[in-house]
Amino acid sequence: MVQLAREVVLDPTYPTVRAWTRRGRRAVGCFPVYTPQELVHAMGLLPVSLHGGGENVEISHADAALGSFLCSISKSTLELALTARLAPFRAFIFPYICDVSRNLEGIFSRLMPGTETHMLHLPQNFRSEATVPFLVAEYRRLIAKLERAGGEPYRPERLEASVRLFNLQRERIGELTATKRDEPDKLTLTESYLLRRLGGLLPREVHVELLDRMRSQIEDRPPRRKDAIRTLLVGPFCEQPTLDLIDLIEQAGCYIVDDELLQVHRWYGQLEVEGDPLVSLARAYVQSPVDIGVRAAPSSKGEAILRRVNDARAQGVIFLTAKFCEPALEDVVLYRKALDRQKIPYLHLEFEERSTSFEQSRLQLETFVESILFD
Amino acid sequence: MESTSAKAPSFLSTAREQQRSMVEEYYAGLAQAGGAKRPVAYMLVGGNLTEIVRSFGYEVVFPEIVALNCAIKHVSLPNILHAESQGYGLDVCGYVKNDLGLQDLGGETPFGRIPPPDLLVCSFSGCYVYVKWWEALAEKYGCPLFMLDVPYMRDPEPQAEDRTYLIAQLKEFITLLERTTGRSFDLGELRRVLARSRRAEEGWVEYLDSGRGRPSPIEAYFEAVFYMFPINVLRGTEVAAEFYATVNAEVKERVRTGQYPVPEEKVRLVVEGVPPYPSYRTFWDFFRKWGAVSVAATYPKVGGLFDRGFLHDPGRPLESIADYSLGAYVNQSWPLRRKLIADYVKDFQADAVLIHGIKSCRSFTAGQGDLRDWLIHDLHVPTLYLESDHEDPRYFAPAQIKNRMDAFFESLGPRREPLVPPPGAP
Repeated sequence: MVQLAREVVLDPTYPTVRAWTRRGRRAVGCFPVYTPQELVHAMGLLPVSLHGGGENVEISHADAALGSFLCSISKSTLELALTARLAPFRAFIFPYICDVSRNLEGIFSRLMPGTETHMLHLPQNFRSEATVPFLVAEYRRLIAKLERAGGEPYRPERLEASVRLFNLQRERIGELTATKRDEPDKLTLTESYLLRRLGGLLPREVHVELLDRMRSQIEDRPPRRKDAIRTLLVGPFCEQPTLDLIDLIEQAGCYIVDDELLQVHRWYGQLEVEGDPLVSLARAYVQSPVDIGVRAAPSSKGEAILRRVNDARAQGVIFLTAKFCEPALEDVVLYRKALDRQKIPYLHLEFEERSTSFEQSRLQLETFVESILFD
Repeated sequence: MESTSAKAPSFLSTAREQQRSMVEEYYAGLAQAGGAKRPVAYMLVGGNLTEIVRSFGYEVVFPEIVALNCAIKHVSLPNILHAESQGYGLDVCGYVKNDLGLQDLGGETPFGRIPPPDLLVCSFSGCYVYVKWWEALAEKYGCPLFMLDVPYMRDPEPQAEDRTYLIAQLKEFITLLERTTGRSFDLGELRRVLARSRRAEEGWVEYLDSGRGRPSPIEAYFEAVFYMFPINVLRGTEVAAEFYATVNAEVKERVRTGQYPVPEEKVRLVVEGVPPYPSYRTFWDFFRKWGAVSVAATYPKVGGLFDRGFLHDPGRPLESIADYSLGAYVNQSWPLRRKLIADYVKDFQADAVLIHGIKSCRSFTAGQGDLRDWLIHDLHVPTLYLESDHEDPRYFAPAQIKNRMDAFFESLGPRREPLVPPPGAP
C-alpha cells in the first residue's frame, strides 16, 4: 500500500485525478495550506491538494514568469500548468497564505483560459465579530466560481453530508498522527506522510476505507524500539520536502512525533454543524487552534512553540523550511529565541523541492541527534 | 541616441527644500515622542489608518519609510547584517531586516532616533510580510497589536461585503483606541483630518497627472518618490495639505520656462516596481543618460491609488477609510495591476515599460516576469525586466544593470510615436 502511495504521490500527471475525470467527473486543484475542501466536495467536485511538482519536474517555463527568488512550489505548480499536466482540472483555488500563492492566482487566470481560478482571502483578524460573516461571503464568491466550473448548485444539506465525510477522514488522520506521537516506532514518518498525502488525491470515501485497512495493520505491528530522539518537525507546511529527505530525518535517529506537513487535514477536529453549514465551516477556520506561519499568531510565537513541544513530549525541534518561504523563515527566529530560553535543542535545515543531495543534511541531523543522545 | 552627458537631476527647488524640512521636522518630532502624552503608533504604508490614529493624538512611525531612508542614506546594510546575525535569513524582506536590526540596535539613525511603539497597527493590505513583521515587533515590545484584515481586491470596485467587514473592524479599532488612550472618539476631528488628507491627495494627483505632458514636466518615478513622503507619512496634517500647492506651482513654472527634468526627452517610460534605494542615484543616471523619463509609475501608488479616482471623503469617514485601505497598489490582483499599467502606457503615451523586480519583495515581484511576457507579446510594448533589491546593497550589480539598460534603450531607437495597447486590452 505504501509503495503504491509513493508511486501515486510522485507521479506529476495526477493519475487518480485523470481516473476520476475519465468517468465524467470534475476536479478542482487546491493550493496549500488550507482551503475548504468540504465545500468543493459538496458541489460534486473532487478537491485535490496541489503540492507542486516534487523532484520529478524540470523547470523550463515557469522561471520566466515568476522571477528568480521564489519558492520551488510556486514554480513547479506553474510549470505543471504550462506543460498541460494540470489539464484534468476545471478550477484552481489559491488561498492567501502568502504573497506568492496570492499572485500565482493572477498568473493562472491569464495563462489558463477556460479554467476558473479563485484567490481565497483567508482572514487574518481572528478577533473581530465581523470575520466569520466575511468568510461566509468569501465562500459564496468561491461557490459562484465553482458553479461556473461545472459544480452542482450549492445546497446546504450536501455540505452537511460532506462535512460528515471529512470529519471521518480527519478522525482517521488524527488516529494516524496520534499513533505517531504515542508509539512512534509503529510507523515511519514516510508512511504516515504518504498515507496522509493520499488524502488529498483520492476520493475521500476511498481514502477513509484505505486508512481503515491500514489501521489494523499498523496496530498489529510488533514494537521496534530504537534509541531515537522525539522530535517536532516545524516549517514544511506548504512546499513539501522530497521523500528522500523525509526518510533521512528518521534514519538519522529522530522520531518525528508531530509535524506541520499537510495541515489541511488537521485544521480543525470534528466540525459540528449548527444552523447554516457555511457559517460552521467559516467558524471552524477562524477558531482553529492551528498556529503556523501562515496564520496571524493567536498567541505569541514563543508560547506556541513551547506548548507544542510540551504536547508532543518532544526532546528537540527540527526546523525544515523551504528556500524563500518567508512566513516560515521569519517564525523560526521567534521560535528559536523561546527554545533557547528553555534550553531545548533545535536544528534548522533549508530545502528545495528538487534537492537531491543530502549529505550535508545527514551530517547535521546525525550531529543533532548525537548531541542530544549523549548530552 | 545616448545623451553625451547626464548632469545632476534638477529638483523642484522650493518644494524640495520644503520636503527636506518636513522630513527633518518629522524625525526631530519623533525623537521626543512616546509614552502617555505623545504615544507612538507603528503603521504600514499600504492601507494605513493614519487619519484615525492622528485624530487620537498619536505620532505615527512608518518603519517601511524609515527603512528606505536608511537605504538611501547608505546605512541599511549594518541593520540588515545585525538582523541576519539574529537569524533572519538572506531571503527575508529587506525592510523587515532593516527595521528589526535597527530596533535591536537601539533605533538610532542619521536622521533621528526612532522611538519604540506604544501601539502596533497592522494594516494587512497587499503584503503578507506585514503580518510576520508586526508579530515580531509585538513579541519584542509586548504592546497591543491591532490587525486590520483588508480583503484582497479582485474586482475593479470595492464589494459591499469587503466594505462591511472593514467598517466593522474600524469600529473595533476605535474602541481599542478609546480604551488605550482614555479619550473619546471625536468624529468632528476625524472629519477635519480627512479634509486635510483630501486636499493633499488632490494636489498629489495633479502632480502625477502632469506626466501626461510632452515633454513631461515631472519625473514620475525617481522624483515623485521624494514627494511621496507627505502623502504617505504626513497625510492628514496641514503641512501635507499645503505642500502640493508649492509642488504644482513649480511644475507649472517648469512648463512655462521649458525647464524639464530631462532636457531632451527621448524615451517615455512607465516604471513598475520598487526602486533600488541603496543605488538610487546611480540607477536614475542610467535612465537620464538616454534621455529616458518616467511619465507614470506604479510604486508611488503603494500608499493609495488616488490617481484612479479615490479620495478620502470627510462626509463618509469610515466608509472612505475602508475604501482607501483596499486601494494600496499591491493589494490589487494581477488582472487589475495589468490593466493599470496598460492604461498608463496608453494615457501617458509611453514608449516602453521598465520593471524593477525586488529580490526580497514577493508581493510586488512574483508575477512580474509574466507581466513582461504579456506586455511584449500581447500588447507589443517593449519591456525590460531588471532585478536587484530595495534595501540590500549587495544585490545591486551596476555593470550588469547598466549593460542591460543600455542595450534596451539602444534597441528602442529614436521613437516618436507612442505604442498604444490594442482596444479592449485588459
